[in-house]
This record gives sequence, C-alpha cells and structure tokens, in this order.
Amino acid sequence: MHVEFLGIPRERAGVSEVELDAATLGDVLAVLPARFPGLRELMPAGALHSSVAASLNGDLFVSDPGTPLAPADRLILLSADAGG
Amino acid sequence: MAFGYHGRYLRVDVSSGEAGPVPLRDDLLRQYIGGSGLGTRLLMDEGGALAHPLSAEAPIVFAFSPLVGTPLTTSAKFAVVCRSPLTERVNDALAGSGFAIAAKSCGCDAIVIVGRAPQLSVLVIDDGAVRLEPAEDLHGDACSLVEAKLRAKLGTQYRIAAIGPAGERCVRYATISHDSRHAGRGGTGAVLGSKNIKAVAVRGTRQCEWADARELTQLSRDMSARSFGPATAKYRELGTATNLLTLNRFGALPTRNFQRGTFERAASFAPAELSARYPRVRASCVACTIGCQHLYELDHAAVRVEYESLFALGSLCGVADPAAVLRASSLCDELGIDTISTGGTIAFAMECVERGLLDQRWLTFGSGDAVLKAIDLIGRREGLGDLLADGSRRAAMAIGQGSIAFAPQVKGLEIPGYDPRALQTMALGFAVGARGADHNRSGAYEVDFSDKADRRHATLDSVRYAIETEDRAALMDSLILCKFLRGVFTDFYSESAAMLRAVTGWDVTAGELRDTARRIIAAKREFNLRAGWTPQEDTLPERFLGTTLPGDPAALLTANALQELVTEYHRQRGWTTGE
Repeated sequence: MHVEFLGIPRERAGVSEVELDAATLGDVLAVLPARFPGLRELMPAGALHSSVAASLNGDLFVSDPGTPLAPADRLILLSADAGG
Repeated sequence: MAFGYHGRYLRVDVSSGEAGPVPLRDDLLRQYIGGSGLGTRLLMDEGGALAHPLSAEAPIVFAFSPLVGTPLTTSAKFAVVCRSPLTERVNDALAGSGFAIAAKSCGCDAIVIVGRAPQLSVLVIDDGAVRLEPAEDLHGDACSLVEAKLRAKLGTQYRIAAIGPAGERCVRYATISHDSRHAGRGGTGAVLGSKNIKAVAVRGTRQCEWADARELTQLSRDMSARSFGPATAKYRELGTATNLLTLNRFGALPTRNFQRGTFERAASFAPAELSARYPRVRASCVACTIGCQHLYELDHAAVRVEYESLFALGSLCGVADPAAVLRASSLCDELGIDTISTGGTIAFAMECVERGLLDQRWLTFGSGDAVLKAIDLIGRREGLGDLLADGSRRAAMAIGQGSIAFAPQVKGLEIPGYDPRALQTMALGFAVGARGADHNRSGAYEVDFSDKADRRHATLDSVRYAIETEDRAALMDSLILCKFLRGVFTDFYSESAAMLRAVTGWDVTAGELRDTARRIIAAKREFNLRAGWTPQEDTLPERFLGTTLPGDPAALLTANALQELVTEYHRQRGWTTGE
C-alpha cells in the first residue's frame, strides 16, 4: 500500500510518499518510525499523536490501529489541525 | 475587585476629547472574562447594535483580559469589537503583541471609543491620561510606517495600533494593525477611520497583582514547555501556509472563486517553493513561545505569509506566480485590508468579468498584475475599487443579474479557505457564524479532518462537535489565549480554570467556564438579534447548495441538508429558529 505525507509528517519523514507492506493502520504506525526516525514523536507506542491525522484514500479519517488496509489503499498522514 | 483586573474601562469621546474611567462590576467580569466576551458585552451596553457602524455614535471596543501581562505564553492579545460595516452584525477581531500589555498598563480592562474627531488624529493614552494629537502628517501612510513614525515621535515605550490608507477611506474590510499583526476581519479599521482616528498610541505603568503568583508561574512554565512539542510544530516549523497543499489534496482548496476545489499550480507558491526562492525568517508576538510568523524576503522587505493570504490572493484568483502572491499580501498589509475579503471580492469580480456581467477586461483569473491593480484601486477607492471596497455582497447587489449566487460570503463576510462542499461540518460553522463565514470563531474543519464525521456527508451528529469547537473558541478569545495553543491542552476547560484561578482568585471551575463560553456565544446572538438578524442569514450562497464540487461527485451539499444542520444547531443551542 501507499503512504502520502503532508505537513509536519512530510517534514519529519523527509519524503512525500512511500510504499509499504501493511495489513492494518497499526502495521503502518509500527513500520514508519523505524524507517523514518523523525516520525517517532508523532507515532508514540504504535498510535497516532493527537497532532497527526490519517485519511484513507482521501475519504474517511481513521485512527483505530486495527483498521484494515488493502494493497491498493492510499493512506494520507497530515497535521491534524489543518486550519489556521 | 478580582486580581488580574483594574475593574474599569476607559471611555473616550473623540468628538469632544472627553475621557474617563467607567467601573466594571466583578460579576460582569466573571461572566464575560475579557477579550471577545467582555468586548461584546460592553459594545451591547454602549448601544452598538443599533448605531450605524460608521456613524459617530458607533462604539468600538479594545478589550484586554485578566491573562494579559502574565507570563502565560500567547497571552499578549487584544480584541477589537464593533458592529461590522461589512456585515452590520457583531464583529470581534483579535491581534497579538505588545499593544495589549501596554494598553492594559494604562489602568483599564478595555477602551471604548465613540464620537468622531474633527480632524485626522492620534489617540494618545499615556498611563491613563488621554489626549488627541493631529495626524495630518500621517495621512495616507501605511500601517507599519505609522507605527515607526509615532514611536520615533512619542517614544519607544509606546505601542501603536494603526490603520492604513484603506481605513481612512472606510474600505469595509479595513484592518487595525499592530506589530505586523492585524485585527483583520470585518472592517474594524473602517470603524476607527470613520472616527478620524489614524492610530491609538498607549504606554503605561500600572500592573495588576495576581492571586497566586507561585501557582501562575508554575502553570506558565508547564504551558511553555508543552508549547515546544509536536502539538504546535506545524505553526513553528512551517506556518499555516502548509495548509495549502493539504487543502488541495483533499479537494477543498477554493480555486477561481470557488469554481473548483483543487488548483493545478498550488505547489508553485507552497512553502517549499517559497523557501527555495526567498530567504525566510521566523518571528513571534510578544510573550509567545510558538513563533508562527514566517516572513519571506521579497524586494528587500519581509512579507508575512499565512495560508489564508495564499489561498485568497493565489488560488482563489487563479494566480500561481509566487512573487505576485507575496506582493499582493504585502500590499494588503500596508494598505490595512483583510486579505480574505480582498481576495474573495476580487475573485468574485473576476468571475463577473468572465460571465460578461462586468466590463473590466483586464480583471482576469490568473493575472497577478490584475490582482495587484485591483488591490491598489480598492485601497484608493478609485474606479472599480470603490465598488470592490464595499465587499462582494454589496458588489453583487450593485451588479445584479443573479451574481449574488456566487458572491463568496455569509452575512457579507467573505468565506475563508475551506470549500464548504468538501468540508460540510465547516459548512455549518460558516452558515451560523455570528460574524459571518468564519474559521476563527468556529473550528469545525477540525471535525471534518477527523474520524468523528464524514467530511462530505455531515449528519446531525456533526452538530455537537461543531458547537464544541465554537464554545472553545469563544473561551480562548475571551481569556485571551492564541488558538495555535489549543493542541497542547489535555483538558482545556480544567486547565483554563486553573489559570484563571491563579490570576483572579475566583473559585472558577471547568463547568463554570463551559457555561461562560455559551453565555458569550449567546451574547453575540443577542447583539445580532438587536441589530436585525433574520433566520435566512444562517445559510450559504446558492453556489454551494445542490451542485457538486467539480471533480468530486461526493462533495454535494443540498439546501435541505444544510437547513437540517442549522435547525439542529439552533435546537442544541436552545434557540428557536426565527426567535
């Protein structure tokens, strides 16, 4: 599956997107900090920090680590306070 | 008298030059705290709901708060409250920095200005002593120049809140500027300009005592420490400008007067591109540990960049040239006009030209030169600029031919950078906003960007979340604390109560502050009812109702669906629609 970064997650990851093998949101949150240490603070203990939001395919927002992901899914990680 | 307050406001009649203190009761202060809340109450008590906004009788209130002058981070803020010349409804606009501290040090919790000076003047308040000085030498000067000139003339201890040329000419969305920040929305600068007041200059020595200084110091240290964490990283490291690509990715970036939700060239003026082209520095308000201001050097000047300016003067007008967007933003700041209303009104005019409703062929989407020319005309109220200086709603009424359907405004206030079809809880927030379409008094976009709601299909469940963001904003704007701090709280009401207890000595609780927030919202509604509000105002322009956002078939908001949300909002507020 595909992960896109926006805002602070992009700043911390240093890239705008990445391909991962992950079956759940929890898998993504476990893998990313290992691959991009700058993301550790935003994904403490396998969960999303309150300053980060995750959108599945640009539609619904998800936060439950058990949320299933399909190979064709695009997960967007962004700064949660998207307003001014 | 509670700690943290002086227990009086300063009332100045600039027609006669008379000034004097007016006592403030302890119970009233506890009910409305300060900032937006206290300002709204005083505005109502001074008859502000019935006076024409630009008349001599109309009051304008500068309101401070018990937290001003404390070591709490982001507490150096003030609210300017008046009846808006743009909406004719209640208007509260906030700005940060040293003016708040210096003005409160004059020994007052608010300054109420009424009347009209016989000539362009500076209102000088020197430790509570009031005088008017002629300001003809400042006529036409930009906001920043006025501050520099007055500090050179009066002394560097003075802090200045000033209007630019647009305020002098009563552009209906003129701002009041201080230290490069603006009390930006709704035309506060036009109200001050209508009183012939070019600037308010303040300095003082009168400090308030705090009930529990040791506890306050500890709370302040804790809050400052948390303000360096991830909850504020976006503002500190990137600034609000980073919202541009986020909103674009979600199809919610207003483009070409809300005709689309994505802008194909958004990346060309996003922060990464700006940083690559122009040197960048950061700055902050006085007493702030976040430092959200990101300034880009262009033409040997530092240009402050915010998301709302980028969208309004960029994608909304179809402009992708970063230099043009920065110059437009800088020009708005110097003239002293709200970038959102400026961009919204120009984009509306561009669409009118596109549709053949307005014969101004130079004014085309995508032209940075056209945007700059239009801003200049607005600032001088010349030619087309005189029409656009009154905002998109009045321009649409003058142009006619059904153009009101796509004038991007609610209650006359231009819509901020969130397409309401793609963010439908925010659509509700815009529709019911007391001062019009508003992203500062309602943070409902946060609900849309969460798993609490489907952003393109708001349900009645969304309403209570929208109300929660509105209540929180009302309290933050009255305490006053910067909203960029909101993410650091683990229990906002309890922590706010602890701060207020330490400053005032009141036995205030979280529950009391929830009631206070609702009381402040209700006061704004009461003001609007007195000012002539009707239920039909709580809606969105036709453009947003019943047709999908191009490129996103799921982004559809019907008139019925919005009305159901509005009705439920009124019900949960305890208001009868039409009351």
